[in-house]
Amino acid sequence: MGIPGAPMSAVADPNVLVKKNYVTALKEALFEEMASNPDLICQGEDIGILGGAFGVTEGLQAQYGNARVVDMPISEACIVGSAVGMALAGKTVMAEMQFIDFISCGFDQIVNMMATYHYRTAGEVNMPIVVRGPAGAYGGGALYHSQMNEAWFCNAPGLRVICPSTPYDAKGLLKAALRDGNPCIFFEIKELYRKREIMEFLPEEDYAIPLGKAVIRREGSDITFVSYGQNVYHCLQAAVELEKLGVRAEVIDIRTLVPLDEDTIFTSIAKTSRLIVVNEAPMTCGFAGEIVARVSEKAFEYLDAPPMRITRLDTPVPWAKPLELHVLPSVEKLVNAALKSVKF
Amino acid sequence: MSRNSGTVTANKATVTSDVPQLRPRDLLTKDDCLELFRQLYLARYFDVRLIKEKRLGHLTGTLYSSHNQEAILVGSLFGLKPNDWISPIHRDMPAFFLKDIKFDWENPERMGMSIEQVCSQVWGRVDSPGRARDNWSHIGSKSKHIIHSTSMLAGTIPVAAGVVYADRLNGGDAVCITFNGEGSTAQGIFHEAINYAAVHKLPVVTVIENNQWAYGTPVDLECPTNDVADRAKGFGIPGLVADGQDVFDVYDKVMTAVEYARAGKGPSIVECKTFRAYGHGDHDDDRANRYRPKEEIEAGRTRDPISICRNNLVALGYLSAEEAEKHRADGKNATEAKNEDFPPEVVAYLSKGIDFALKSPLPAAEEGAKWVFREPQ
Repeated sequence: MGIPGAPMSAVADPNVLVKKNYVTALKEALFEEMASNPDLICQGEDIGILGGAFGVTEGLQAQYGNARVVDMPISEACIVGSAVGMALAGKTVMAEMQFIDFISCGFDQIVNMMATYHYRTAGEVNMPIVVRGPAGAYGGGALYHSQMNEAWFCNAPGLRVICPSTPYDAKGLLKAALRDGNPCIFFEIKELYRKREIMEFLPEEDYAIPLGKAVIRREGSDITFVSYGQNVYHCLQAAVELEKLGVRAEVIDIRTLVPLDEDTIFTSIAKTSRLIVVNEAPMTCGFAGEIVARVSEKAFEYLDAPPMRITRLDTPVPWAKPLELHVLPSVEKLVNAALKSVKF
Repeated sequence: MSRNSGTVTANKATVTSDVPQLRPRDLLTKDDCLELFRQLYLARYFDVRLIKEKRLGHLTGTLYSSHNQEAILVGSLFGLKPNDWISPIHRDMPAFFLKDIKFDWENPERMGMSIEQVCSQVWGRVDSPGRARDNWSHIGSKSKHIIHSTSMLAGTIPVAAGVVYADRLNGGDAVCITFNGEGSTAQGIFHEAINYAAVHKLPVVTVIENNQWAYGTPVDLECPTNDVADRAKGFGIPGLVADGQDVFDVYDKVMTAVEYARAGKGPSIVECKTFRAYGHGDHDDDRANRYRPKEEIEAGRTRDPISICRNNLVALGYLSAEEAEKHRADGKNATEAKNEDFPPEVVAYLSKGIDFALKSPLPAAEEGAKWVFREPQ
């Protein structure tokens, strides 16, 4: 499955260069930033000798040594807390969570220590730290290897929250995050890590994607899907199905939740008058609700139908396939919701 | 009295390490010793004066008294190099100005906070190092090497470890002292961070101010070992026990740990046995007199660190009997102690800070929404 409407990378000759997957894009970002920023330190569980549970840091320690690529004891709180200390001493840190589910073990250090540091010190101290890790369901990972807990961090002022859906974005956003100077929580979609269908050419030259800029993955005039992460692909598939039924759906990938590109969303709704927001996280107090709230407050007059949320049910992510698929957003759920919206 | 008692005059290392035979205090000069004594008065006066100011209605916010625990701060900080880092918590307010103050109280360039800055913070004024954005001890300074704490106890230990990790990468030899209560040693992050520091032999000295009470819970219900310092055994690092009422014993033990850390041998835990004079905060003073047995409070306050230091100085011949009698702040609580009970330079020093703070404005309201994120570069 390709990404219609996705910005193509600036590569002229596919015979010379190869398409790259999402995990390779991340790896390139880390290698390049380690080379250009001698103050960058990477740390996490199994990231050095092993090269990371998913191989994102493969070869990094061999190239940059075990002082800058650090195998940490199993303590997410310490991985984040020591990163805070390094940042206080002038370093930039990439802190890997082996699974984003485990980030809860480092929660206090993230929301109370790291997120507030710049605020507490009236701008004296910056926290150039990227806490990144594999996230997301649909892979049979069950309760503790499937989470999308991004909403927790959107509710903690001081954190950037980022979730790329393509290799190009994975590399460009990770570079931007590592240069941003603010603490970032970076959600990688592990189901996309090695997905062949989304491999793409990456620019040879250095690039970073500005945080807070959404991208329109598919243009349409009848209804707007807003999503991020792997649900973007469900939206795109739903748009293909809907087109067969005469409904032209626009698909927006917000890419960063904090900061949020409201303008791209509002501009789309001004055209389509209908909105469905899709995310994998549970519905109650999820980020889909935040987008619906902002649209209701600031773009109400554009709407011809109630904005809708298609999210995980308010349940954990269960293991057995029928259970997992039952609670998650699906193409079928999106098509049905869109048809309901256009008939309103 | 709890078995983990503050009245034990302990003088032992629970894990033997290469402790030098010559005690660190043996290298202190007469002037050093007299400066330590003066700093005990300064820390005590800070506490006494703030309690008085609060009672006069001149202060808002909770006070966390360091009364009876001053020797831990003074003795721990005295031997540090200017570039060393510290991480004080709520009961350590004097640490902010005591850092690197040795013989140089008025120097604005020293690697510690000025009394004006600290008082501005206490009064919630804009000249606070944190522009009064968080309260009481939640200040720090990147340039002065003081880590900013939160209310989550033991939460600065991993930060301290990260700071010295980075310093070591840069070729530095800085040590970081983190101050913690005995109650915080039950936190997971206490163990996670010291484990990490021990694995990497990071120069982190964890000072435990064991004042026997974590808010309203006695140490027996917080820690199962005889000494809190015994927790060091699990990490294979030195666990030292100091008499927290004796500034020289604190100095000996902390400096032993500091030199061990600076030599690249790794972290240590130094438990300083003491006793909390008042409540957890001043809001708790009345209740603390009820939930703590009267005999325990009386026993716990019999060994005033100022008295113990004075006796040592007289024995050393550094103070005449007449000089020793000059300022008798010891043994007096905040309502009893008067300005005459303190050396005049101590009173003048703090008064100058308070005068400055009272003239400092409150922060502008709109600053409340600033600095959530870094300004775009």
